[in-house]
Amino acid sequence: MASEPMSIGSSAQDPPPVPDATSQEPKYGGHTRFELELEFVQALGNPEYVNYLASRKFLQNPAFVAYLDYLQYWTRPPYLQYITYPTSCLKMLELLQVERFRKDILSPNLTHALVTEGMKAAVEWHRESLS
Amino acid sequence: MDKKLDASFERVEKALAVLIDSMTKFTPSEKAANDVVKAERELFLGLEELEVHQRNVARIKQLKQETEALDAQTKQTISALWEMRKELVAVAPTKFSPAKEEKYPFTTQQLLDYARRISRNTLPPPGVTNGVDLSTAAPTTPDDQAATGPNASFATSIGGGGGGGSGQGTAASTPAPGVQDSFVSQVPSQSQTGATELPVHLKPAVNPLENAPFFTFPTIDRIRSGALAQYQDLINRGIDPKNYDPEEEERRIKQEEQDRKDAEERARQEREEQDRRMREERERMARERELARQQQQQQEGSMDRRGSVLAPGQAGGQPARAAPKQFTFLDEDDDDEDED
Repeated sequence: MASEPMSIGSSAQDPPPVPDATSQEPKYGGHTRFELELEFVQALGNPEYVNYLASRKFLQNPAFVAYLDYLQYWTRPPYLQYITYPTSCLKMLELLQVERFRKDILSPNLTHALVTEGMKAAVEWHRESLS
Repeated sequence: MDKKLDASFERVEKALAVLIDSMTKFTPSEKAANDVVKAERELFLGLEELEVHQRNVARIKQLKQETEALDAQTKQTISALWEMRKELVAVAPTKFSPAKEEKYPFTTQQLLDYARRISRNTLPPPGVTNGVDLSTAAPTTPDDQAATGPNASFATSIGGGGGGGSGQGTAASTPAPGVQDSFVSQVPSQSQTGATELPVHLKPAVNPLENAPFFTFPTIDRIRSGALAQYQDLINRGIDPKNYDPEEEERRIKQEEQDRKDAEERARQEREEQDRRMREERERMARERELARQQQQQQEGSMDRRGSVLAPGQAGGQPARAAPKQFTFLDEDDDDEDED
């Protein structure tokens, strides 16, 4: 990812339209905005990736924070149904709206804890439902 | 009221003055005394009336105070109501976002499809533990009872070996329950299960998912091979990704390649065609030459025939000499024999 400063002057955009067979969306490197944003919002579920973004000072950039706020449209229908990593991705999106978390995720300890706890929870919630 | 009392007092005083006057003249008048008594009685009546009047006034004052208090209370209540109303009006009504107001109906099939889509990212495959010790934390599950209880194999056969986690292959080869009842008391359960199951320390060796991690988020490798990485790659190569489609680009390159190949093919075909024409031309010329040669030969032949007519001895000897050409060696043999 590039670390150039982003412009905050760009106006807020509406969420991209849900793809259908007839849509003629402009493509960026062969992918529509819908595809790119879906991939990005799911990648945010990975604490290591968020830590990487924090280490490149993205999370302190007001434009990027505004973008994170904009990305919350993924928590609502009809976009919600396209997310295939719902558990971690949506929680991380929620956490990233908090300034304190955006600073704390810079810590490798927190990143590691999020990964291990996430892995544990993935196994344990299922076991709880069995018992 | 005051006037009335004043008049009564005046009458009493006048009557009294008349009486005193008459008494000072030493001619007390009975009439004057009666007047005084009458005037005094009226005065008392007036005083009683005054008392009633005073009480009434006091009552009116009290009532007035009460009214004022009630008025004040009413005013206070009304102003409180007014304040309340203002506050209510001032409260901004909650605006529900359009997403919440709109309903997104979905069918059961869609829900099931979604569940199937996400299940590979939310539910770990059987046997994957992510380092969590599954055997200790939930001791009440039937699986654990089956593994630790004294009637381990019996419980397994009843429970159908519902293999949670790594308990595979237990039910498949358990004998009938009737047979087992007799076994349970005699044979230690460990050896019973050992006959059908791998020892614990070997189980990890046959489980391909042993120690395999399970993540509920895309891994870094996946992120690195995704569309965003391609996007970054394009930027790194100095290509503006907007409206740039690698597939389209590839198709274009392929098309160019194809066009180039087609052109080459056409050129080759033309060359071949030309070669063919030249070959045909050469063949034709060869044929013509052959024909000309044949014609020449024929002409020569006819001239020979004509010559043979002229010289029969020469012509008759030629075919006889030509025929054995194929068997030259025979001729030679013959010649040799003849020589011998």
